[in-house]
Amino acid sequence: MRLPAFEYLEPRDRQEALDYLARYSENASILAGGSDLLVRMKQRLVRTSYVISLKHLKDLDGIRPDEDGRLCLGSNTPLVSIIRSPLLQGAYRGLTDAIRRIGAPPIQHYRGTIGGNLCLETRCLYYNQSAFWRSGRPRCQKDGGEICYAEENSDRCRSANVSDGACALMALDAEIVLESREGERSLPIEEFFTGKGESPFARSPDELVTTIRLPAPETAFGSSFRKLTYRSAIDFALVSASAGVKVEAGRIARARIAVGGAGAAPLLLREASEKLLGKSPEDGDAVAETAAQAGRHAAAFMVDNLGATLEYRQKMAAVLVRKAVQEALARAENGNARGRRER
Amino acid sequence: MDKEFTYIGKRVPRVDSLSRVTGEAVFAADLKLPRMLVGKVKRSHVAHARIVRVDTSKAERLRGVKAVVTGRDTAGVKWGVFRYTQDMEFLPRDKVRYFGEEIAAVAAVDEDTALEALELIEVELEELPAVFTPLDAMASEGPWIHDEYPNNVNVHVEINVGDVEKGFEESYLVREDTFTAAEDDYFMGEPFAVVARFDDGGNLEMWTPNAGPHMKAKPLSNALRMPLNKVRVRKIAIGGAFGGRSEISPADYICALLARKSARPVKLIYTREENTVNVRMGHALITTIKTGVDREGRVLARDITCYMDGGAYSSTGPIATSVPFLCMEQAYRMENVRYNGYRIFTNKPVRGMIRMHGRSFACGVDLQLDRLGEELGIDPVTMRLRNARKAGETTPTGSVVSSCGLTECIEKAAEKIEWRKKYGNLPPWRGIGIGINSVQTGFPLGIRGGSQAFIKFNEDGGVTLNSGVVDNGQGNDQMLVQVVAEELGLPLEDVNLITADTELTANDPGSYSMVSTFAGGNAARLAAIDAREKLFRIAAEALEANPADLVLKDRKIFVAGSPDRFLPLTKVVRMGLIQGRPVSGEGHFAPKVDHRREWVSNPHGQLSEAFSFGATVAEVEVDPDTGQVRVLEVAAAQDCGFAINPMVVEGQFEGSVAMGGQGGMLTEYHFWDGGRCMNPTQLEYKVPLAADMPRIHPIIVESNDPGGPYGAKEAGMSIAMSAAQAYASAIADAIGVTITDFPMTPDKILEAIEKRRQEERK
Ligand SMILES: Cc1cc2nc3c(=O)[nH]c(=O)nc-3n(C[C@H](O)[C@H](O)[C@H](O)COP(=O)(O)OP(=O)(O)OC[C@H]3O[C@@H](n4cnc5c(N)ncnc54)[C@H](O)[C@@H]3O)c2cc1C
Ligand code: SF4
Repeated sequence: MRLPAFEYLEPRDRQEALDYLARYSENASILAGGSDLLVRMKQRLVRTSYVISLKHLKDLDGIRPDEDGRLCLGSNTPLVSIIRSPLLQGAYRGLTDAIRRIGAPPIQHYRGTIGGNLCLETRCLYYNQSAFWRSGRPRCQKDGGEICYAEENSDRCRSANVSDGACALMALDAEIVLESREGERSLPIEEFFTGKGESPFARSPDELVTTIRLPAPETAFGSSFRKLTYRSAIDFALVSASAGVKVEAGRIARARIAVGGAGAAPLLLREASEKLLGKSPEDGDAVAETAAQAGRHAAAFMVDNLGATLEYRQKMAAVLVRKAVQEALARAENGNARGRRER
Repeated sequence: MDKEFTYIGKRVPRVDSLSRVTGEAVFAADLKLPRMLVGKVKRSHVAHARIVRVDTSKAERLRGVKAVVTGRDTAGVKWGVFRYTQDMEFLPRDKVRYFGEEIAAVAAVDEDTALEALELIEVELEELPAVFTPLDAMASEGPWIHDEYPNNVNVHVEINVGDVEKGFEESYLVREDTFTAAEDDYFMGEPFAVVARFDDGGNLEMWTPNAGPHMKAKPLSNALRMPLNKVRVRKIAIGGAFGGRSEISPADYICALLARKSARPVKLIYTREENTVNVRMGHALITTIKTGVDREGRVLARDITCYMDGGAYSSTGPIATSVPFLCMEQAYRMENVRYNGYRIFTNKPVRGMIRMHGRSFACGVDLQLDRLGEELGIDPVTMRLRNARKAGETTPTGSVVSSCGLTECIEKAAEKIEWRKKYGNLPPWRGIGIGINSVQTGFPLGIRGGSQAFIKFNEDGGVTLNSGVVDNGQGNDQMLVQVVAEELGLPLEDVNLITADTELTANDPGSYSMVSTFAGGNAARLAAIDAREKLFRIAAEALEANPADLVLKDRKIFVAGSPDRFLPLTKVVRMGLIQGRPVSGEGHFAPKVDHRREWVSNPHGQLSEAFSFGATVAEVEVDPDTGQVRVLEVAAAQDCGFAINPMVVEGQFEGSVAMGGQGGMLTEYHFWDGGRCMNPTQLEYKVPLAADMPRIHPIIVESNDPGGPYGAKEAGMSIAMSAAQAYASAIADAIGVTITDFPMTPDKILEAIEKRRQEERK
């Protein structure tokens, strides 16, 4: 398939990139590894006049702790650097487990970046198709039209966030730093996503995601990621789950559960997460109840648009949450070093 | 085999492997010819419509566009594999019958211009009601997809042997089950691409992936109204066929038409989506199977009715409708059997031949046999052994089976996975299963059934073999080289090939119908023997020996038993040249089949000269939380007659397990939004990856067929089918439920497990 015509820009530094973004705004697309963007351009799902490459913005590539001990991931950091970073072991294993499941090693090694993964467009089988496939009938809402093929009479787009990294970052309570010529702002990850399938991100067109900030590593904190696919690689999630839990004095002190492949954002399941608070990590019933509730909530967001049957994906949400929570708890309790050997 | 071979039966690397691995192999899409244009096809975006108007004037005026073609540019010739199935215009004039069908095409100086030109073609269609399932299609009150086929029934194959009703009456146990399966697909490594050019003599040259160049040249000559000797389908590297390239593709014709109209070479490359929708795919099937057995589990009668979703055109319809049944009647012994196979037109892409020949058929037969055995208290392996075909028998439709190692396949595969120890004794959620099958080695293909080969010597003793055999990935070129090197006592590198070119090579059936080794290999062998006899005549005079006493080895002709009485081969070749009797060889081989046999009108008589047989045993573990299957081990045993190159044969077995078992039974299927295929790409159609594959034990069984070259038959196909059956049977064993809709994806498996749990609770 052929790329449409566009003007290709290679800013030398961040300032130049922000200038271009300010100037071309909606008419520009940011190119990191391109493994999502170029496919969508070929399918004519993005119409863009300018493509702004981040390739010379070296300061966006790297993983560094800041003065408060928080970990800053430059948005243009290749996925393989995330997998290999010694800084991202232990408490952050939910993230590295997730990144290892993205596409296949060639995508992780040669193309994909963490920023691109965070900004992965939502997907739907009625939408992620060639221009020819979509021709011959009215456009759907995400495609600029009025209707929805996935869910009859839906007044909004029900496409799903299937980014493995985003799901894990949600459970890890990441912060997203955006920069434009006007200045910098940072959003808690749940505010970075709008929950709207048509326009899933709270990024304004002149903004660049520069950094993904993770809370400082803690002891007795564990994280995990689970993903359901039909194939071992090159397969987007039918549904995924990630958990981050903190154990204090034998009780669960904090928990964040996220489910991907359901809504237009990775779903942060607050109510279900709260069910765990104060419980013993060994409390199997509490985990089961949490998983069931998380599953019910996530199921309400799903429609039949990612493959497999809807019922199956709905059922699996609870199963994956259960497995993710169990694994995160085990990692929190056993210390992550031992958890590493488990794998 | 009593004879000691140098190359035959040996594990030698393939002649083409290096160029494939390094990327130097040239496929059609890699070709670049001077002044070559880019071709693109305008397709229908509705599933069924009358073509009202196609206006190409704007496209023609676009700068850089060199030719635009529509149905008006054609001679209106309809293509069909048989005279009675000629129903497909490569560029239809009256109607489009599926979403994605060809309407027009352009050739332009570059891809952007060609794509822009497509946008400028105005197509007015009058939409007609469309049907997307065989049952809806038969119930439809019209308009029919083809006027000539009422109720959209395209093909009806009817076979009735013995007395089925009496067989059921005499049966101790009778079961009837219905099995369904969605469409499966090939996903060849190489997406379709074609290059066409006309030379200054008006000859058409074409490079296109094919399963037999002669099978493409003739329909092209018909459709283009050109003499056959002016249509030259050339040799090119091919990245897979699996049955999907058995026929001419509309794109072959369209590319030629564009080349003719523009008077320039044209290249047309398919996108992955086009390769899925516009090449061929497997049929979706609904199969009802009724089987009666005696107390010992022997099949006394079987009655099968099958509805096949054929898509919009006949394609290989009569063959595709017959083969699932024929494979079954070859593998299983039975006296009373009835078959009603219906191929139904729907407004979906055209279906053709595929390696598994209908999953719901083969797997249904075997799953049902397992259930019958269960009721009788007989294990699946014993059920297979009691019913397995044996050499010397005749199939219900009248084929004599000259060689058959099926029993050995079953026993060896079962033993490898420790069937006796494991069956019934595995921990929960583990299961073991077996499938058996048989395929043909050659069909009655009339005048195109035989292969011809020629050998010429170079003055340095090297040879060139000329043969119509095509290699589309399975290793046929290697097979030819090994055969000729063996018979002429040459190192492999001394054998050059001219193959798969319709100008240079003679008639050949192609790799279609699994006959390349049997027909093409035999022809090459006979050509080499012919050449060798000529060499021996010359050498015998010089050596003052009897030609019958000579042997040819290591480029030397010896008198048997006296290693120092020899002449170098080169010298004998040169003597031939000096003496005015240059050495060459010719061979021809046509399998002995009954040419009166016809798929629909007369499905009786010798179908193939030989049949291959296979048995696969698989052990699986099911995750009861997710329904996901992990395959622990697979033993694949096939009677391929004789393995000319065991390494290549084992590669075929492994690919077959991947395609038939791992993909075919676990993850691969098409799903639809009306006429739109929801998963036309490699991302969404889940072909298994290397990392998904289980450990495979390939087991080669050799029955030495009397007709095959060195005893060889076919390799791989009966594994693809039996692997699907073994996977299905193992999953049923693991979860204690028989799923009847294929493939057995995790959602279906989980649903079955939950249903069983609910029933148990009651
Ligand atoms: C075959 C295949 C399989 C895949 N499988 C998976 C999978 O299993 N899981 C998964 O999560 N993903 C998968 N992907 C999607 C993709 O490869 C990954 O998400 C990858 O991490 C994207 O990174 P990238 O740098 O290539 O993104 P790009 O394509 O460059 O960008 C993606 C999007 O983010 C925007 N963007 C990039 N950087 C910034 C920035 N700094 N600020 C603002 N916006 C930005 C781009 O404009 C674009 O819209 C797959 C892709 C392919 C082709
Ligand atoms: S969910 Fe509906 S609107 Fe959104 S992409 Fe799919 S079909 Fe379009």
